[in-house]
Amino acid sequence: MPMPRPPLPGSVRIDSAPKTTPPPPPGAQPTQLVEHFFRHETGRLHGALVRLLGVHNLSLAQDVAQEAMLRALRSWSMGGIPPNPSAWITKVAMNLARDALRHNRMSESKEGAIITHLEQTSSRGPRIADSEMEIRDDALRLMFVCCHPSIAPDAQVVLALKVLCGFSTSEIARAFLSSDAAIEKQLTRTKQRIQDSGIGFDLPEGEDLTPRLDGVLAALYLLFNEGYKASAGDNLVREDLCAEAIRLMTLLVAHPVGDTPRSHALLALMLLTSARFPSRLDEQGELLRLDGQDRSKWNWTLIERGLGELVAAAHGDSVTEYHLQAGIAACHCMAADYASTDWPRILRHYDALQAMKPSPIVAMNRAVAVSNVHGPQAGLDALDEIPQSDRLEKHYLLHAVRGELLWQLKDYAGAAQSFRRALQLAQVGPEQTYISRLLDRTPNA
Amino acid sequence: MESTPAPTPFLLLFRNSGPETHRHLTADQRQDLMLRWNRWFDELVASGKAVEGQPLELETRLVSGARGERVTDGPFAESKEAVGGYVKLLVRDLEEATEIARRHPGLEHGLIIEVRRFMEVCHLGVTGTYRSKASVVSAS
Repeated sequence: MPMPRPPLPGSVRIDSAPKTTPPPPPGAQPTQLVEHFFRHETGRLHGALVRLLGVHNLSLAQDVAQEAMLRALRSWSMGGIPPNPSAWITKVAMNLARDALRHNRMSESKEGAIITHLEQTSSRGPRIADSEMEIRDDALRLMFVCCHPSIAPDAQVVLALKVLCGFSTSEIARAFLSSDAAIEKQLTRTKQRIQDSGIGFDLPEGEDLTPRLDGVLAALYLLFNEGYKASAGDNLVREDLCAEAIRLMTLLVAHPVGDTPRSHALLALMLLTSARFPSRLDEQGELLRLDGQDRSKWNWTLIERGLGELVAAAHGDSVTEYHLQAGIAACHCMAADYASTDWPRILRHYDALQAMKPSPIVAMNRAVAVSNVHGPQAGLDALDEIPQSDRLEKHYLLHAVRGELLWQLKDYAGAAQSFRRALQLAQVGPEQTYISRLLDRTPNA
Repeated sequence: MESTPAPTPFLLLFRNSGPETHRHLTADQRQDLMLRWNRWFDELVASGKAVEGQPLELETRLVSGARGERVTDGPFAESKEAVGGYVKLLVRDLEEATEIARRHPGLEHGLIIEVRRFMEVCHLGVTGTYRSKASVVSAS
């Protein structure tokens, strides 16, 4: 039985019609805005503005949205928050957009038609109270713009964060351990790319749909992965990246265009993975391996949602890598502890993954599953059998896994050697600390 | 204190509170600032110390010239001089008004607050409309 759809996280309830009520009397508590209101509002606003101004005016849309947010900040700190904050901001943004266009003095061109359109719609009363469906529509269109194949994958993620998720350039730079200037430059190049390619504000259809949707899924998968990597840097920002990926996926599956089994599978994977975040670090903030984590800290609401999405994904006859990865995550989430995990099932999933899309990383993870089913020696053999393992040679995890298996076989000298190699290759603090701990517990290391 | 002297009205004028001041903030920082700003103000109203307060629109017009013939725009909201809003306080003295201003969350981001006492009569003999009784909208 499919789970009921949860409300979009972070969405503000939009009242049926904008009211011109006076500001709340002094003494009334300001309404608590939902978490990340402004940040999510930016995404929604960009969608509406790009719809009106055109994709080629993306920069203008950004400026207008930014200005509207700042005016809201100004006006609402003191005047209090209006009853319909979204409508307020949208109205201001539409007025600013019209002013900006008029200032550019375009009369003959398409922009002239837009101004006329704006004037006509505003004389009927501002088209503020969009239906939830239309709002999602605009946000989705923007998602397809950001994830267009003519934009490089990592540039897609950065653009999505800026335009859909309302992240500031600094936040993005912090998340990717880059500089404000570098991100700014990348965004400029990307927007130029968009203009040059003449990308439209359309939802793909027909034979276009599958590849375009795959592109969006790949971008959101990348976004989630960026957040998931427990690298050095701002941990809180990284978990925000995962939350944003989930939020966008939720938006996507709620729309006919995105409501496909593989979309649900990807969302399931994200939910089930992020459910386990609270147990990843110990009190000192150090990385814990799965077998050492406190499972009582897992977020069961997310796990339930994730399992629900997995059920929704179990339709049709295609099994994608998202299905398999989600299946593996589900096995972990449903196990009371490491030892009672359904490892044979996980191994079958890895076998299928390896067959579908062979990669040394998948093979390495498979070897761990093999060791849990058939013992450490079998795991070592599986490691040795990895094709193209020279690609893994420089990857610290390969040596950490090998060291662990040797340790289980009581080959402490061999284990220590592997761990030391891993330590040399580990690039960030948490990884290094983690390997050092493994070394510490190796006798005669 | 046995007998409380009649509270004195003060005006707080906010400067450097325009959009340029807050442009670099992240969305979450803005939201946080707004909520704290409102809380600062609401608490004052609830305790009867603030009578009113409002932000001011960005568009400014200057009227000058002997016959008011000079009507111009500005100073622009971006400039540090532009007044962005005000709060009218009813408090014990200048020290209390100052203390209240010092607690303002906007200061973190460059807000400048001017604290002025109201006068009953100016040097020309013009009387203000200040009423000696507190005219607070009662906090519900």
